[in-house]
Amino acid sequence: MAAEVHALDFVLVVLLLWLGWRALASADLFKAVVQFIVFGLLVSLAWVRLGAPDVALAEAAIGAGLAGALLLDTLARLGRKGATDEVRPLGLTPARAGIALASLGLVILLVASVLALPESWPGLTAPALQQLGASGVTNPVTATLLNYRGYDTLLEIGVLLLAVLGVWILDAEAALPAAPADPMLSLLLRVLLPLTVAAAGYLLWVGAHAPGGAFQGAALLAAGGVLWHLARPLSLPASRPVRAAVVLGFAVFLGVGVATAVFGGGFLTFPPAYAGAVILLIEAAAMVSIAVIMVALFVGRPAQGTK
Amino acid sequence: MPEWMTVALWIAAAVVLATIALGLVRVERGPSNGDRMLAAQLLGTGAVAVLLLLARAADAPALLDVALVLALLASVAGAVFVRRLGVQPVQRGQDRTAEDGP
Repeated sequence: MAAEVHALDFVLVVLLLWLGWRALASADLFKAVVQFIVFGLLVSLAWVRLGAPDVALAEAAIGAGLAGALLLDTLARLGRKGATDEVRPLGLTPARAGIALASLGLVILLVASVLALPESWPGLTAPALQQLGASGVTNPVTATLLNYRGYDTLLEIGVLLLAVLGVWILDAEAALPAAPADPMLSLLLRVLLPLTVAAAGYLLWVGAHAPGGAFQGAALLAAGGVLWHLARPLSLPASRPVRAAVVLGFAVFLGVGVATAVFGGGFLTFPPAYAGAVILLIEAAAMVSIAVIMVALFVGRPAQGTK
Repeated sequence: MPEWMTVALWIAAAVVLATIALGLVRVERGPSNGDRMLAAQLLGTGAVAVLLLLARAADAPALLDVALVLALLASVAGAVFVRRLGVQPVQRGQDRTAEDGP
């Protein structure tokens, strides 16, 4: 358990560095997008090797899956205006030199701060594991995200909410005209949609004691939604039901926070007896909202225009 | 699981990863966008294989879930490609002549 493990890690690191460089430097935007998708796959493997399967799961779902779909769709919309494969010469301009210098400064700062870390610091692992019994779940990552630092997750859902509001508000490029129905895509949808819904429910439930959770489940649901939109074009205007679905997760999370602040120990301080149920409730609502938000981001503004 | 088995699984994972490196040549050279997209799909399958091997080698069943998610989502990018950009076999001959550029 030494040489073979190091060989795998070495190949992974070399591929990541090479792909990162190629995805940034490719003049061909389509090639860059494909390289970015493969980069996401390998980053997911890298997180596995770093012992963080929760992050690997999120990266696999969002980085390798949905981000690729969004980028390809964006590329198609750019292409319609005749901006295909914009050539970007790799010369050194003052602006690029400035960015390079600033990046170098940031790298030096980061390296210096890593070197300044104490040699042996106990970290927060011990206190996190110590409180696990009162957190309502047995997966320390879920306990951290939903209980110890619920604030962060609440605001992350808020960021996604703002993103979809931005897409709705901006007079963005309208969706492409719908292509004629494709029998193979309908078949794929019929096979894959039930599987993604079942797997999303599984990930939501398993998040309490193993890697999984609302974001990963939502990415799977959203993938099903994207496939649906491709097979039978959806229209997701900012109607009342869609708006309700989009704010549901944030509203439930905030509502629980206010309720615990008024009746309990403080904002987002869950009583240990109900913590498990409360976390599941928040995650279920968040999963629905995040999935609708992601599909709405992909669908964009309705083709006919709402003005 | 015997020791040699674990070693064999790690080596198999490294070999599959090396085939992913080979697949990247196809992404880099193309020549058509369809070749690049299909190569990416193949690499996704390779990543699923690496995850399944590591799940056994490192005895980490959570990696099976990561592999499941990757396998379920792999087809979405392909579907978006076919629907939005489309395979353009006509450009194949043209690209091949210009392919040897930097």
